[in-house]
Amino acid sequence: MNDLLLIRKNLFRRKLRTGLMIGSILTAFAIFGALASVEHSFNAGQSLAPDRLVVFNKINFTQPLPIAYYDRVRAIEGVRQVAHLNWFGGYYQDPKNFLIVMAVEPASYMEVYGDEIDILSEAREAFLRERTGALVGAAMAKKWGWKLGDHVPIASNVFVQKNGSRSWDFTIVGIFTGRKAEVDTNFMVFQYKYFDETRLFGKGEIGWMLLRTGSQALNDRVGRTIDQMFANSPYETATDTERAFNKAFVAQFGNIALIVRLVGGAALATILMIVGNTMMMSIRERTREIGVLKALGFSGGRILRLVLGESILLALIGGLPGLGVAALFILAVRGSLTGFLPQLFVSPDIALAGLALMLVLGIITGLIPALSAMRLQAAAALGRN
Amino acid sequence: MRSLLLQIAAVTLMNLKSLPQRLWPSLSTVVAVALVVVVLLAFLAMTNGFQQTLMSAGAQDVAIILRGGSQAEVASVVARDQVRLIEEAPGIAKIADGKPAVSAELYLIVDGVKRSSGTKANLPLRGIGRQGVEVRRGIALVAGRMFAPGSSEIVVGKALLREFDGFGLGQTVMFGTGRWTVVGVFAAEGSVFESEIWADLPVVQNFFRRDNVFQTVRARLGSPEALAELKHYVDTDPRLKLEVKSEAAYFADQASRTADLIHKLGWPLAIAMAFGAVAGALNTMYSAVATRVTEIATLRAIGFGGLASFVGTLVESLLLAALGGVVGAVATLLIFDGLTASTLGASFTQIVFRFRLTPSIAAEGLILALIVGLIGGLFPAICAARMPIVFGLYD
Repeated sequence: MNDLLLIRKNLFRRKLRTGLMIGSILTAFAIFGALASVEHSFNAGQSLAPDRLVVFNKINFTQPLPIAYYDRVRAIEGVRQVAHLNWFGGYYQDPKNFLIVMAVEPASYMEVYGDEIDILSEAREAFLRERTGALVGAAMAKKWGWKLGDHVPIASNVFVQKNGSRSWDFTIVGIFTGRKAEVDTNFMVFQYKYFDETRLFGKGEIGWMLLRTGSQALNDRVGRTIDQMFANSPYETATDTERAFNKAFVAQFGNIALIVRLVGGAALATILMIVGNTMMMSIRERTREIGVLKALGFSGGRILRLVLGESILLALIGGLPGLGVAALFILAVRGSLTGFLPQLFVSPDIALAGLALMLVLGIITGLIPALSAMRLQAAAALGRN
Repeated sequence: MRSLLLQIAAVTLMNLKSLPQRLWPSLSTVVAVALVVVVLLAFLAMTNGFQQTLMSAGAQDVAIILRGGSQAEVASVVARDQVRLIEEAPGIAKIADGKPAVSAELYLIVDGVKRSSGTKANLPLRGIGRQGVEVRRGIALVAGRMFAPGSSEIVVGKALLREFDGFGLGQTVMFGTGRWTVVGVFAAEGSVFESEIWADLPVVQNFFRRDNVFQTVRARLGSPEALAELKHYVDTDPRLKLEVKSEAAYFADQASRTADLIHKLGWPLAIAMAFGAVAGALNTMYSAVATRVTEIATLRAIGFGGLASFVGTLVESLLLAALGGVVGAVATLLIFDGLTASTLGASFTQIVFRFRLTPSIAAEGLILALIVGLIGGLFPAICAARMPIVFGLYD
């Protein structure tokens, strides 16, 4: 009879009790996995290339910049590629069907975002050529059942056309995919020219610019040059890395990390107490048996390993499926949440952290009963009833 | 019947008196239930505080008029001619000097720095005229004075002052190249207006190059019923492609979107945690029954019924859970109630709110605790009631 078999037999001697423990550990790790994924998604922008800078109006990112700034920024030394974008505030059919839609200048947009999204060459050409053409991300096209060549009316909750209509007609000239799994494609872009010529107000304004310096080392210098160039003008700028900007934007929702840690901590603390207590109870019940093992010549260290092995095994049997449940849950809800939470999945980092927590849980809950079992005198244990 | 009740009372009392013998398992149930309740109540108190902040801003007899299709003030545009037409609309109350109680406003977003994180956050800058304060109720200056017309002075809500850096009385704030001085702090009965910055409308229009452009119009109505009259007037005039809502309806809609999200997060989390706690409670109660095997069998042998053991076990479990619920509610009250936080609302600006725990919310937590206690006690109680006498005595 090897030790592993002994551990397994011990663990499942009271099936109901062990089942309950497994159930509660499973729940705790399902909560942990799901929450950690949500937090990870909130910070998803952190994986962006470090040489990407964003130029916004200094007052706030919702305030516009004049289109003339685009050419001036493009001429700055150290700016390799730059695109300008404008938020459209789009929705499809009903204001509840909120869409991420941006008006862009096609050539520069495809240049800057080329290493993130994959656009077929026919689509590239069509997007440059067609005034009302739009490029739609695969995720968005799938969600609304749109196909290449479809004509879709997209309304704006911000802008109005000169003819009084709130809706713009687009032709889907290309459907792009992400070059990496974590690129979210739930958005669409269309020609700035079409947008600017037809809108009632805000003519000649752009929302913001995104540029690449090619090297992180140039970021500071380029950023300073841009902001100094427009200092004391009616439209001052604030240039920052895209990473820093995204981080500050996420922080606007509140301290997500703190909430995740508090709730996750509460869930794990609950389980720690329940499992710890049960382990203690179950070892106490086995005092006589441990005495028998000792009398048979089992060393104190071996007893310690047996008990700790049991608690760690319990944590793993409960915890691993728990992470699995989290992964399935996230998979089920991610479709409806892509607008809010891009790149929502249980990452390998989270799985590893979960595994580490399971070991910690197993050791903490098993340690006290294991130590007391180790120190037990065979004679005393056998004498106890 | 009487003897049955006496039996139940005797067994229950005995169980409770023996609780100290099972101190640790019982305590772990109490703490586990308490933690579940804290998580639930913290989320509910957060949702409630957020909703109250928005809802208390909305008056039934104030109409808010936005461009059709724009769901928030920040996305709306209203032209000067349209404002004039609204001023002539029926159903609108008059202010002191006989003018209609209509306030055309500009709502823009500027940057501020959140104290808690040190990062930039969106703050609303509202350009209002003299009517702005008169249309709203419950606005009171708590420090300083109102901005002077034509000057680049601002007054700030007291919630904004608390959460964001650099808006103290007398301080200078830069929005782009514009230099603004804080001359007053106002209270608005805890409503969302306290998260705003107010300045003189023409100055804001000029600085942001939005001359003669407005975003929303607020109108105080003669009575809440006059809303229909105003709506009809706006709908039938082709020059007014605008949407009329009561301010209460507008803010209720704004609140529901964010509150829904917090709500949908809080309950599932608490229920998932409750499953864990149920497992813990079941364990505690099964082991409690197990340690009392001989005792239960003895009682049965001397004539006590199974029901007495059943009720005794169930009551013990419910009591432990209820204790956990109360501890959880008190902990939430001490730790979270009154805590201020701010988040990005549907209007794309920061809304400062307080966590608010109410008795009805606390009751929801207690009910969840009792459900945990009921499930956790029921099966062990059945087990206790059905135990064969011989088995217990033999052991």
